[in-house]
Amino acid sequence: MKIVNGVFLLGAMILNGCDTPLEHNPTRGYKSIEKALMSKILLAEDSTVITLEEGHFIFKNSLILNGKKHITIRGKGIDKTVLSFKLQEDGAEGLKIANCENIVLEDFTIEDAAGDNIKVTDTRGITFRRIKSAWTGEISEENGAYALYPVICTDVLIEECEALGASDAGIYVGQSENVIIRNNIVYWNVAGIESENSENVEIYNNHAYNNTGGILVFDLPGLTRYGKNIKVYENEVYDNNLENFAPPGNIVGTVPPGTGIMVLATKDVEIFKNRIDDNNTANVAIVSYELIDAMKGKDKKDKKEEGEEKALTSTQRFDRKWKKDKSYNPYPRSVYVHNNTYSSSLFPNLGNDFGKLFLLKFGLTRPEVVWDGILSEDYLLPTGEVNPEYKICVQETSVKSATLDAANDFENLASNPESLNCTL
Amino acid sequence: MFEEEVFDAADSYAHLGFAKLSEYNFFQGDIADLIPASNVYPYDLNTPLFSDYALKKRFIYLPEGSKVGYHETDVLKFPPGTVLIKNFYYENAQLENELGRIMETRLLIRKEEGWTALPYIWNEEQTDASLEITGGTQKVSLLGKNLIDYQVPNLGQCKGCHELNGKIEPIGPTARQLNRTNIFNGKEMNQLVKLYEDQLLDLPAFDNIPKLPVWDNPKTGSLNKRARAYLEINCAHCHRREGPAKNSGLYLLASNENESEIGVMKAPVAAGQGSGGLKYDIVPGKPEKSIFYHRLNSTEASVMMPELGRKLIHEEGVMLIKEWIANMN
Repeated sequence: MKIVNGVFLLGAMILNGCDTPLEHNPTRGYKSIEKALMSKILLAEDSTVITLEEGHFIFKNSLILNGKKHITIRGKGIDKTVLSFKLQEDGAEGLKIANCENIVLEDFTIEDAAGDNIKVTDTRGITFRRIKSAWTGEISEENGAYALYPVICTDVLIEECEALGASDAGIYVGQSENVIIRNNIVYWNVAGIESENSENVEIYNNHAYNNTGGILVFDLPGLTRYGKNIKVYENEVYDNNLENFAPPGNIVGTVPPGTGIMVLATKDVEIFKNRIDDNNTANVAIVSYELIDAMKGKDKKDKKEEGEEKALTSTQRFDRKWKKDKSYNPYPRSVYVHNNTYSSSLFPNLGNDFGKLFLLKFGLTRPEVVWDGILSEDYLLPTGEVNPEYKICVQETSVKSATLDAANDFENLASNPESLNCTL
Repeated sequence: MFEEEVFDAADSYAHLGFAKLSEYNFFQGDIADLIPASNVYPYDLNTPLFSDYALKKRFIYLPEGSKVGYHETDVLKFPPGTVLIKNFYYENAQLENELGRIMETRLLIRKEEGWTALPYIWNEEQTDASLEITGGTQKVSLLGKNLIDYQVPNLGQCKGCHELNGKIEPIGPTARQLNRTNIFNGKEMNQLVKLYEDQLLDLPAFDNIPKLPVWDNPKTGSLNKRARAYLEINCAHCHRREGPAKNSGLYLLASNENESEIGVMKAPVAAGQGSGGLKYDIVPGKPEKSIFYHRLNSTEASVMMPELGRKLIHEEGVMLIKEWIANMN
């Protein structure tokens, strides 16, 4: 086991430690079938299969499927059928699907959309199967935001897909219900897999490596719905130490490189039986939106600016518009982390404040599971007991966990605190 | 760089609509003069969508004997058989070394089961326009601007904007947009009153009819009201609770009073490169720190808003929004 970890560690150092940029440069010879395919998609009757031949096809406009039922778009296999949006002039998405029912996308590669490669909205029943979604060339901030992006959908299945190069998330599910994300491979993204404001989500048997953050479970304010009941299990989440290349201003821009699994302001989250190795800031991080909001207020760019935002006290900073969203709860709650395996390299990532903090406070045995410890007013019941709805529980053998007490300048930061010793 | 496509549009679109615009008989005389035939009524909007500086001549065809239902906030209730006809054109004076011409005509046809959107592209001779469901591009050289590929939307893109709760809907003809004068047979009169007098529209007491200001005419409304009118017609077809961009949490109907929902100190949700490194949609007093300004002031596909329908920056519109944000407290 030690040898295996050593090899992974070496791999991580080779990928991240030197200046060679990460590049994806497949050989392509393009052909245009834009009008033919577009008219086929626009005129598709319900219950049809649209077959894509083998070849590399290039498009100047988004392909749009709207208001259809039971449509399958099927290629001849990953890297055999390639849809490229390298020359995109109009529209931000590569393939855009809206207001549909029971759509299946399978067996093709999609590349280089200006914005998102595949965006699906307001759709009931969407399957992505054996889709490779990528940006070619050097991994950069100029890449599109999401590789696979269902939002406001129900009954979502994403399986056996590969997502790379997204400047936000490789696989991103937002404001959706009944979601399965399984058997996928995600790398070279800012976020490997992200579930945001979604309910009844199972994320299992995926490989998330060489992203900035491996798997993120987020709830953000001001949206159409909020998330709950999310299970993250049997995934391999390792070496997510990639420099954060999200365009500033995006929420994932606040994710520190070296994050394995991160839970933000969501309830009923269970994380178990994952292998979580060598994510050099925190293998598992559980945080509130207050922390993220405070971090947003002081990212790199701001430090150079005249500092009108820095002048805000933390209380003022928290008193942003999102506080007006009464249905949003900024605290992670009912989170249960158990039966995972961990390993960590000796040295933390010192490129961010958390890495430095951990080295300072914990020395070389930093915690595998950290919670920011920012408490809701409702965290304690009048009796002084922890409100069961707000419990954060960690049950791992011989692994250090910690609460940071981030709201009070880490004053009462604690290793293996009794408050985390519970089950759900 | 790649093998060009040979595409034969032999597919029949007959089930969608006529192949040629002339077959509808909306216009009399030379079709390019756009003189309305009977039952075809001209209309204008107080604050229109920006479409690369194209001018627009809009008409409503109403079947004989039909009547439009009034609605205070939504688009008027048009009866089956109605066709909204929107012609996009440039005048001689707008173009460099070329003659003005009609680029395209978009139809919204109200069928029993709902609306259908169809794009027609005009021929070079300006003798007719043909249905092109996949849209198209035409080079246009506007005076003082770069040569652009003027874009006619495809059927899917039509739906991309004309969508409300998943169904196709018109955007412009609300009472507040139509509440203005127009010239009817040489005589100036209010458009709603004209339809009412011709017994084509039910109308409540005239004082109660809302009116949207004209975005570039300060006499018609305050800076705030005009900016909100501009954002409504250019953004709120998607950015509203029932629209395709509802996932953003940004809702831009002029009637929305919730500051956060119209973008004030609101962090973006999934803006990607669109954020331009900025943290909030609107930072009061600071347009250059506001994502609104950044995205309106761009023509990059991954950044620009609206996503579709323009290749140029609307300089005057951007100025309006800039001034509006600069004057916010």
